[in-house]
Amino acid sequence: MTRIPSWPAQLRFRSLKLRIAVVYAALFAAILAAVLLLAGNGIARFGEDSASRDLAANARVFDEIIELRAQQMRGSADVLSRDFGFREAVATGDEPTIESALVSLRERSRSDAAFVVGLDGVMIGSAEAALPPVAELWDALEGGQEHGIIRIGDKLALAAASPIEVPDTIGWLVLAQPLDAAEMQRLSKLAAVDIDARVLRARQLPSGLKSASLGKVVESGDSERVLHHVTALPALQQGLRPRLVLDHSLSKALGEYSGLQWLLAALAAAGLTLVIILSWRVARTITRPLSALDTATRLLGEGKDAKVEVTSDDELGRLGASFNAMVAAIEERERQITHVALHDGLTNLPNRKLFVEQLDQALARRRGDAQLMIVYVDLDDFKVVNDTLGHPAGDALLRNVAAHLQSVLGEAIVARLGGDEFAILLGDLPANENLAALADKLQGCFGRPIMIDGQQADASASMGIAVAPGDGVDGTTLMKNADLALYRAKRDGKATYHFFEQSLDEQARHRRQMELDLRLAIRDGGFELYFQPLYSMHEERLKAFEALIRWPHAEAGMISPVDFIPLAEETGLIVQIGEWVIREACRQAASWPDDLSVAVNISPKQFQCPNLATIVLSALASSGLPAHRLELEITESIFISNLEKTLEALHSLRALGVRIALDDFGTGYSSLSYLRSFPFDKLKIDQSFVRDLTLDGNANAMIRAITTLADALGMETLAEGVEDEAQAAILRQEGCHQIQGYLLSKPIDARAVHVFIAAMADEADGQRRRA
Amino acid sequence: MRGPILISTAFALAVPLAASWAAAPAVVQVQVVDERGMPVRDAVVELTPNGGWRGGAIRFGWKSAMAQKSVAFVPGTLVVAKGTAVAFPNLDSVRHSVYSFSKAARFEIDLYGRDQTRSQNFPIAGTVAVGCNIHDQMRGYIRVVDTPFAGKTDQNGIVRLTGMAAGGYQLTVWHPRARTPGGELKRALAVGAGQGNQKIALKLK
Repeated sequence: MTRIPSWPAQLRFRSLKLRIAVVYAALFAAILAAVLLLAGNGIARFGEDSASRDLAANARVFDEIIELRAQQMRGSADVLSRDFGFREAVATGDEPTIESALVSLRERSRSDAAFVVGLDGVMIGSAEAALPPVAELWDALEGGQEHGIIRIGDKLALAAASPIEVPDTIGWLVLAQPLDAAEMQRLSKLAAVDIDARVLRARQLPSGLKSASLGKVVESGDSERVLHHVTALPALQQGLRPRLVLDHSLSKALGEYSGLQWLLAALAAAGLTLVIILSWRVARTITRPLSALDTATRLLGEGKDAKVEVTSDDELGRLGASFNAMVAAIEERERQITHVALHDGLTNLPNRKLFVEQLDQALARRRGDAQLMIVYVDLDDFKVVNDTLGHPAGDALLRNVAAHLQSVLGEAIVARLGGDEFAILLGDLPANENLAALADKLQGCFGRPIMIDGQQADASASMGIAVAPGDGVDGTTLMKNADLALYRAKRDGKATYHFFEQSLDEQARHRRQMELDLRLAIRDGGFELYFQPLYSMHEERLKAFEALIRWPHAEAGMISPVDFIPLAEETGLIVQIGEWVIREACRQAASWPDDLSVAVNISPKQFQCPNLATIVLSALASSGLPAHRLELEITESIFISNLEKTLEALHSLRALGVRIALDDFGTGYSSLSYLRSFPFDKLKIDQSFVRDLTLDGNANAMIRAITTLADALGMETLAEGVEDEAQAAILRQEGCHQIQGYLLSKPIDARAVHVFIAAMADEADGQRRRA
Repeated sequence: MRGPILISTAFALAVPLAASWAAAPAVVQVQVVDERGMPVRDAVVELTPNGGWRGGAIRFGWKSAMAQKSVAFVPGTLVVAKGTAVAFPNLDSVRHSVYSFSKAARFEIDLYGRDQTRSQNFPIAGTVAVGCNIHDQMRGYIRVVDTPFAGKTDQNGIVRLTGMAAGGYQLTVWHPRARTPGGELKRALAVGAGQGNQKIALKLK
């Protein structure tokens, strides 16, 4: 299974749409924030850089301006210092002349100070304020410096020095102009950007700028950011260290860019909004089909119709189409499963479950005094067909019957309940409907012979009929009653139908009680064995006893085998009962004289039990009875199913040493082929032949034929139900070896057996003595 | 360049030697170097006997003339005896003037043309810086001396002075760019017989 990746708990959303939108918006917002931050920083950096560059560039302009100014002053000074008359005046020390010339120069050049420094250290000058001492100027002047800053009074001034040569230098003419605030402001106007310029002595610098390296742009300020540029100006006066300080307001410079930053922020906000809207829309296009699928899946889980509408041909569309295909496939499979679950695979008729549902629906629909008829059908000789023609033929028969019923009973519901049992439901019958005629008509559906693999098979059926509302108003009751009626019909004989009667229900209850009691009797050893003697006319002695079961019931008294053996056969309890009979018979017989055998009836069902031989062997071993003293009586009916298997079982029993007798000979099929296929030890001639012996007729001939046949085959013969001497005489005459019946004794209990044996022995002795 | 003038006194041993060779004519060779030891050319070296020169008229072996040639005074430095008249021939095609505001001689000669000559008498010993009024770059120096023992150093910074009688002298070294008052350096020097070598270092501008 593909694991769907889970989100950390704090990022989990109940809606995919919200998650997609939030994640994309957050991502974009993060990118935008990064871009904004970078751009903002970039703009600020750019602004700062360009302000710095502006300031640095203007600082160079300022240097030029000051240089130019100094040269201009130098030019003015040169005019005088080169004047021959002035030189002569200086050379000859003509102070009044010098002074007047200096005043004239100062006025002409609008300077603050003009003075001459002689090579001999004498200063002659004209100034508005105190001139600097000669000693502080000397080095610079003698070093050939042409301009620089000096101090006039307490102001700094730009001074230009022009040497006075005659032709050797005899002194310098110095012209000075102040660099006060007004002058600096005037110079600042020459700069391209808004710059504040100041000239200060190094020690007058603000503390923040004292450590600043010269020629570099530094920043200061808290509320207003200001860039500073400090350069050294040449000093004409010793110890002055003048500095040109340029200030440029960074805040103002950056202010020009703030509009740009606001525009960026606005663009980012607009972009973010757009992304949120778009991602919401994109998420919705994904999640809307998903949520439709979600709903459809839930509906599918609830078993409702769950198709989704496919609107696109992308992955989601294909998912929707696949989902629809899956839903269709599931519906188809469900339909098939339902069909299989509710129909019989062989005949494709509805099965019991569906029949019950349809019956319930029909009952619910029933209105007024309308009637509803349920018919249980059981094919009479299906088992024979199956056994003789094989299972495929049986299946073909069932299919044939099913198809025929469906074609004939178009309006009725026909179901196969299992095996050879069918059910027919006829609804909406008017109250005055002739139900018997209807039943006859139904019976007619089965009367026809059917050809299977070229062989004709009989498809007659027994039918049990229950009618609503008379026989019940609920399906369960009706079906039970129909079943009971069928049971009864089958008991009545083949190809009959039987309507349900209340007594059937009571019989059924009785049967159930008896079954319960049977089980208790098996558990508690509630049976008894009675014995009826078998007398050999041939040897004129008691030959054996036939063990006959009796059931002494606490309430019902002694119950005849006729009443409970069929039930035991039906329920399969006969196997356990039969085993008990064998063991008990062997145990009893072991206490008899050695020449007496015991005969035990083996029911067909018991005979089919695969461990019969084991049980017999075990009974012989535990009782100590020799095998030849046990005689098993079987009926012809065991040959009806699988002949080979039956013969195999007979031979295995014979191998134990026990004797095998064929009981009730002459009643059933009495097929001679059975006699040929297995060498029975004895044939027991049915009492019906014996009963007829004393009447005029051909009974004697029958007996003679049987005894002759048995003799020829080496089998003993025994006649059952011998009641009088006349019968015995005829039997003896006709060659019958043994007799059994009331002539000798009715069945007696175990204790009476010993008495009977003793009596017979006495009689034999008496006869012998008489003889 | 305000330090004291350094004078190498390699000749200190010469004093006792001079006494032993009193009969031989005295020769003093002076070499002038700058601070880096490079020879200084056109430095004027003078030996003035203590008490001044009592001899007759002084005559040097070079012309008492300073020409104006290629807008320059040639030679740039001229040694003349006190009272000598110096000629200023103009060898250029342009006109020149000659002036001086020096204390030793204060004069002014108006412009004069090619192949013309003006002359000026220098009666006072000392240094006379001359210039041309219309060519600021022209400058010449005339050293007016009152002793016959004087001369200019050659390209090796060396000058040989001969003919002095033994005795005490004042050695004066002058150069226009010497960083001393008046451009002069003075030393007392005892001159004996034979040769004495002097090496003098000057600080120059």
